[in-house]
Amino acid sequence: MKADPHGVLTGTHFIDGDHACCEGALAAGARFAAGYPITPSTEVVERFAARVPLVGGCFIQMEDELAASIALQGGVWGGAKAFTVTSGPGFSLMMEHIGYAAMTETPCVFVDVQRGGPSTGLPTLPAQADMMQARWGSHGDYEIIALCPNSPQECFDLTIKAFNLAEEFRVPVMFMMDEVVGHMTEKVIIPPAEQIEVVPRKHTRKSIEDYLPYGTNGDMVPEMAHAGEGYKFHVTGLTHDERGYPNMTPQTQDKLVKRLQNKIRNAADRICLFEEDRLQDADVVVVSYGITSRVAQRAIDLARERNLKVGKLRLITAWPFPDKKIVELAARVKAFVVPELNLGQMVREVERAASGKARTFAVPHAGGGVHKPEEILNAIVEASRC
Amino acid sequence: MAKGRVSIVVERCKACGFCVEFCPTHVLALSSAFNSKGYHPPHVVHPEKCSGCDLCGMYCPDFAIYGTKADLKSEAAKAEKASGGAK
Repeated sequence: MKADPHGVLTGTHFIDGDHACCEGALAAGARFAAGYPITPSTEVVERFAARVPLVGGCFIQMEDELAASIALQGGVWGGAKAFTVTSGPGFSLMMEHIGYAAMTETPCVFVDVQRGGPSTGLPTLPAQADMMQARWGSHGDYEIIALCPNSPQECFDLTIKAFNLAEEFRVPVMFMMDEVVGHMTEKVIIPPAEQIEVVPRKHTRKSIEDYLPYGTNGDMVPEMAHAGEGYKFHVTGLTHDERGYPNMTPQTQDKLVKRLQNKIRNAADRICLFEEDRLQDADVVVVSYGITSRVAQRAIDLARERNLKVGKLRLITAWPFPDKKIVELAARVKAFVVPELNLGQMVREVERAASGKARTFAVPHAGGGVHKPEEILNAIVEASRC
Repeated sequence: MAKGRVSIVVERCKACGFCVEFCPTHVLALSSAFNSKGYHPPHVVHPEKCSGCDLCGMYCPDFAIYGTKADLKSEAAKAEKASGGAK
């Protein structure tokens, strides 16, 4: 399906990542957002609140992030594509409802423009320290998808992708920006609506009598019906059967939770996006994501000038983690260098997937700024010697 | 024989009608009776259709209604006793 032209601001723009994210959401068909604006994500909803009434939607400023993260799910069950936007402190408050979205299979997007933490931390300065929280923050076993843009252009493109993945898999998608990407102003090209592919809601074609809210018919992703259409069913965070009725038995739990997990895991190859460069002859691979990948690019260029065989693997999808790619590389490279604006999060995943076949060098940074290219270069030099 | 039974706590009801609207087997209707607050609580119009699914109970905002599965074995025993064991 092509994008609704009303929401697409076709043209060449000079805007920041937050504004580009908002335009991506509008292009993807988002017509509802609930939020409790927080630096450095405020500009996303500020723009959305001004723009969305013009295309027939609305924004509600809620009393807090708990309310925002559940109001958006009400919007989804009412038939809208919806999202919320926050930063670390708000993201922490949203964790309960991320689990609820995973359990009730509510397609929605949570944008987290990461800032320094823990707690109130550094409201106006960057970090990438919510990466593990995005994956594991809510209790219980579940899978989510997380995307990491590294430019305003990608904030536009990948926001559309985030909505599409949410609809396809009926899963909450975490859009993991960081303060620098959010506040960096660059050229953003918004194509005409007919060139933007959007995934529509997986709405049931079944009659009211035959509809089972969580019946899958062999497919991993059930079909949705919306409130007010006459389909009478119950949406609950309790372990539920195909009818949506609470059924708290180990058998129902096993069937439901394994399906929630496998619908993402089995499709991981299709979901995982990454950018690679000069990996053919590489001895060392720099694995990075978000703003850090742009500093890493400079470090890789400097290392290549010194004839060090370095390649780049940039994670665009952080979750599900691209295990297969790391396993393949670990078999033929000496080491991975993982710079990130935290004290060691995704590096653990790289290390796990590499499983001792290649060494792993973390380049930690507590946040509040970005790495100096030389810091990453030094790690590359050290890794090349191992 | 009905597979379930609906119990209604009339004094808690504010007559929103969710249970009437959402009952999958159309067991309920709002009655013309009043509770002490002046609302019309629901009443059972088709007891034989109740499946005991408790969707009414899950929807009710006021915990004023709930469905229970009928204990078919003890119902049968009761019926047998009432008929004096006559077969």
